[in-house]
Amino acid sequence: VPSSMQCGTRRMGVMTDVHRRFLQLLMTHGVLEEQAVKRLQKHCYKVHDCNATVEKLEDFINNINSVLESLCIEVKKGVTEDDGRPIYALVNLATTSVSKMASDFAENELDLFRKALELIIDSESGFASSTNILNLVDQLKGKKMRKKEAEQVLQKFVQNKWLIEKEGEFTLHSRAILEMEQYIRATYPDSVKMCNICHSLLIQGQSCETCGIRMHLPCVAKYFRSSSEPRCPHCNDCWPHEIPEIFNPEKEREAGTSSSNKKSLRSRQH
Amino acid sequence: QKPPPPARGRPGRSAQTPPTRRKVEGPGTPWGPDGAGAGGRPRRRRSQKQLEVKVAELVQFLLIKDQKKMPVKRTELLRHVVGDYKDVFPDLLRLAAQRLEYVFGYRLVELEPKSSTYVLVNTLEPVEEDAEVRGDQGTPGAGLLMIVLGLIFMRGHTIKETEVWDFLRRLGVHPTKRHSVFGDPKKLITEDFVRQRYLEYRRLPHTDPVDYELQWGPRTNLETTKMKVLKFVAKIHNQDPKDWPVQYCEALADEAARARPQPGVPAPSS
Repeated sequence: VPSSMQCGTRRMGVMTDVHRRFLQLLMTHGVLEEQAVKRLQKHCYKVHDCNATVEKLEDFINNINSVLESLCIEVKKGVTEDDGRPIYALVNLATTSVSKMASDFAENELDLFRKALELIIDSESGFASSTNILNLVDQLKGKKMRKKEAEQVLQKFVQNKWLIEKEGEFTLHSRAILEMEQYIRATYPDSVKMCNICHSLLIQGQSCETCGIRMHLPCVAKYFRSSSEPRCPHCNDCWPHEIPEIFNPEKEREAGTSSSNKKSLRSRQH
Repeated sequence: QKPPPPARGRPGRSAQTPPTRRKVEGPGTPWGPDGAGAGGRPRRRRSQKQLEVKVAELVQFLLIKDQKKMPVKRTELLRHVVGDYKDVFPDLLRLAAQRLEYVFGYRLVELEPKSSTYVLVNTLEPVEEDAEVRGDQGTPGAGLLMIVLGLIFMRGHTIKETEVWDFLRRLGVHPTKRHSVFGDPKKLITEDFVRQRYLEYRRLPHTDPVDYELQWGPRTNLETTKMKVLKFVAKIHNQDPKDWPVQYCEALADEAARARPQPGVPAPSS
């Protein structure tokens, strides 16, 4: 290890094959739910160091991130916007994530993604209908694209976990939000929405009908957890929406079977 | 308790203000989240930080290309990543290689001597259970590639394309039919694997109708061995590798040659 590359200010963690295999496999997924990440971590210990006690996930990730810092890469934790499931993704902090996609997609395909992204951000609900997206195919940069092809490209974005589809409408996958938050905030400063509770980027959520502030669904659920008469945290008017139910690890464990939670993330994409 | 920070750059003078401060025009990363901060401050040319960022970009670029298994040419690295840092390119590449191996367990290898084309080779042995925790899109072609490599090796290093299809047809893989797992098998074998340099594909002279021959490409010997391929073939046939004495002897000799330090290749400096 070249000492010249080490940051003098912060102690770097030590990488072993356990960490390396973990990173390799995390990269093949792009994004994983917390439970799958824990399974992955256990698997890597089993392969390389079966006698060691499995480190707490948070410490394990922090250790890896201390090494990744100089490479401008990070294992980032987030939650899904609709039901607050914890997820992890390996994200680039230096080059833009659009450039990461650039190796997988052609110019006209990338432009289709940008168009979809704009529609999603401008929309009230955080969703763009496939009809509205497909109506823009004539304006794409690069090679001409037919609607039929564009439909397939949208499916490719879903498969690669950049978009989620629900009943013919598209929104950003949490992985895309983790990767692109900086880019989106910088590129669309006027149309971008923020959450009043956690102050990070908001694509879909609830809003106050009086003052217009917005909140993520998981943030709504947490904020109003014990209030019988929810009121807007900004203008104090009545909160006009149903309080959503979000991911609860305790409940999930009771319901118990591993197959059910594996399916849930995938089934919502269809 | 804490070890002293490693010395970086030229020692001593850092506290002093440099007598002349040349204005540096930063390379400017219009989309990068920290582009403004890095480019805006006047600094001496090529600070440690700038070099670190270049190394990070090299690492990210090589990782992205590796996801697609695409070999990377030196000229691509120079054009897309290195830019004005050409004069220190060998140092940057050496540092990137060290980071890739230490952090991710990938070794940066020149595909053939003096080819100026690079691939990443995994230093971690794949284990079967990886498949369970791997993304399901994984590498569906890997099994098909092993079958073709096995065919080539068992036939004495060269096989006609028509013979490959005669064999694969028995497994339900047809050159002209879309396959549920491999997509377009003809393209996968004669274009993708060839571009990735796992296979060589040459037109046979004086053949009517035209036929081609297939051989192992340079990358195959970097990522696998004759013995591994032979064991794979034996497993499929439910037999022992020693049941093919010619191939077995050759595989043994190959193993022995690999164990010897290779002449002409300098020992890795730590």
